[in-house]
Amino acid sequence: MIDLRGRKVFVTGATGGIGGRLVERLVRHHGADVRVLIRNPSSAARLARFPLTFHMGDVTRSEDLDRAIRGSELVFHCAYGTTGSQKHHAWVNRVGTERVLEAAHRAGAARVVHLSTLMVYGRTGDGDLDETAPRRRFGNAYSDSKLEAEAMALQYSRSGRVPVAVLQPTAVYGPYGGVWTTKPLQALKAGRQILVNGGDGFANAVYVDDLVSAMLLASVKDGAAGEAFLISGPEPVSWRELYERFARMLGPGPERTVSMTAAEARAHYRKHQRETAHVHQELLRHFKQDQAFRDRLMATRELFALREMASSILPEGLQQKIKGRMSGNAFASPPRAGGELPILPLTPEMVDFYIPKTRVRIDKARRILGYEPAFSLKRGMELTEQWARWADLV
Amino acid sequence: MQKVRLAVLGCGAVAQINHLPAISASELAEAAVVVDADAARAREVAARFGVPETATDYREVVGRVDGAVVALPNSLHAPVAVDLLRQGVAVLGEKPMALSLRECDEMIAAADASGAALAVGLDFRFFDSTRFVKDLLAEGLLGELRSFDLRQGVIPRWPFATDFLLRKETAGGGVLTDFGVHVLDLLLVWLGDWESVDYRDDAMGGLESDCELRLRMLSGLEGTAEVSRTRNLRNTCIFEGDRASLEVGIWHPDPPITLRFGRREIGLAGKARRPGAPELSYLDVFVRQIDDFATAIREGREPFIPGREGRRSQALIEACYAARKPLDVPWLEPAELAGWRAGA
Repeated sequence: MIDLRGRKVFVTGATGGIGGRLVERLVRHHGADVRVLIRNPSSAARLARFPLTFHMGDVTRSEDLDRAIRGSELVFHCAYGTTGSQKHHAWVNRVGTERVLEAAHRAGAARVVHLSTLMVYGRTGDGDLDETAPRRRFGNAYSDSKLEAEAMALQYSRSGRVPVAVLQPTAVYGPYGGVWTTKPLQALKAGRQILVNGGDGFANAVYVDDLVSAMLLASVKDGAAGEAFLISGPEPVSWRELYERFARMLGPGPERTVSMTAAEARAHYRKHQRETAHVHQELLRHFKQDQAFRDRLMATRELFALREMASSILPEGLQQKIKGRMSGNAFASPPRAGGELPILPLTPEMVDFYIPKTRVRIDKARRILGYEPAFSLKRGMELTEQWARWADLV
Repeated sequence: MQKVRLAVLGCGAVAQINHLPAISASELAEAAVVVDADAARAREVAARFGVPETATDYREVVGRVDGAVVALPNSLHAPVAVDLLRQGVAVLGEKPMALSLRECDEMIAAADASGAALAVGLDFRFFDSTRFVKDLLAEGLLGELRSFDLRQGVIPRWPFATDFLLRKETAGGGVLTDFGVHVLDLLLVWLGDWESVDYRDDAMGGLESDCELRLRMLSGLEGTAEVSRTRNLRNTCIFEGDRASLEVGIWHPDPPITLRFGRREIGLAGKARRPGAPELSYLDVFVRQIDDFATAIREGREPFIPGREGRRSQALIEACYAARKPLDVPWLEPAELAGWRAGA
């Protein structure tokens, strides 16, 4: 048991799914004195359940970081760009990491745990993958900026400024999870997920609690500083298994997945692009002008996609208005009985992402951190389902 | 006719998004001064809404205005209101009215003593749907009521100016105090007073983000209310009667309402409407609230939601916190869950 009683710990990205669970465990199981940096109190409700020290500020501003980090022995850097353009995300990933490292150095922190990603290995191939594999650009803003951030973190550590341990998790799922929990569930409700090559590529999923355990170990274990560790679950998991678990949570109903070859998936995407080129503009025009259209639109499952889009571009007032219109009632949102769900297009990039049978090795984390994943996909998904049910997602 | 002169205390999100636009749109009131501890913010907001004066201390408004809109952090609602009411300044207080019944009573006593109007900003009462549902239930259209089930959950994106809501000392409570007060007030409007409550939430030394009430009303009717800041729930209240069921959207001024007889397939879905009236917006609701407050000041009458009405939901909130048990979180592993349930 890692004892952090009375020790000051600083966490960035605490309002996210991983950071949120990390804070929960730091406070409840390890007795740590936790301080967090948050941009908008609105997203910090889950954190406010605990007696934490809150600092409002931005991870890219040194003065905010210096104020928040003061006296912290341990730093967990989980923040990454989530708002604005892809370019801005990348900027936050790079500059935010640099500023956090500098602030940790100035504060004399004993250890920084930097949350990186499997994506720093770019497009991986079939077979075993460990930390000796070359880092490569994947070609999107998130992956490439995380690659730069990780390189900076390791450089910082090796030059002796502040000891940094880097974790490279695979697909993280679990309660309060976004990318690999809430999004797939919402997607499977809205349409059929394409399983590239029958979904036999490897997802290498990891339950959020296993990742948090690895992060805690990385914050205290000798030999972790200056090193990167791949973190995955106990067994390789195919994308089919992962998506079928999510689909099962949604209960009986229409088919929620569809198998395609990579070529078919790419062709489907091109067809979809051609067919919908002008739809967005048209939709917006009708949405603004036609009350009956709005009302009918609100009753469709496709709306979920629009909501996603809306949350990033529309002003608060309009969002509130839309939200109000979508207040449920007994007759709205009818599942089209017997109808087939539309096939959700996959970008060519995602098609490539789903293909390889990469077997992520966690031997290094086992050896140096003493990491041992405790959650099989089955168990992790059972707990995730309990949460998803409570959260009205299934 | 001369407009009623108002001060707006606090230049945070609710002042900028709701109160000041409503005062600008009102025929009966005008903003004479805005107050914020942050002088720059006060000046910026004043310039944006064309308010002639600013101040950094609320006490400066005494003698310069007829009434004040108190849109400060929760912990300041009661002390500031009491001080102003004692000096004869009418108060429209943001919700929650106060952080305890004792504070509510002090506010009511101060208003009674000076004769200044005290209005509580439980703006959901100004929705036409609120009134319609009340009438529909009172008319017995559903037959004898068997249960109610209210689920209100929104992952908020409110642009808070400060983090007062994250601190116990400034917020007073979590989601029950902040969001919950609105829906509890609705239940009290619709169903009358309550008899007993079973209450669970997820606070662990801080403020609850999710809570659940099992409520028994004086009428004997029982039901459930759930309020969340971490989940998007259906945001409706469902009433089941022995003849019909009713579902009304909450958290929006013009929600859909549906009525259904038993299990019959065909029901009625629509909106509550005054004849010829357009869709009700939040701006309309806040204008109604400001107009009611201004009229109460001018005519010396009681506002639509006086202090004793605001006190009702506060009493329920206080009873909830006193009866608090840990909310069940079934996605934790057994060992952790046991500790959680034990409140450890």
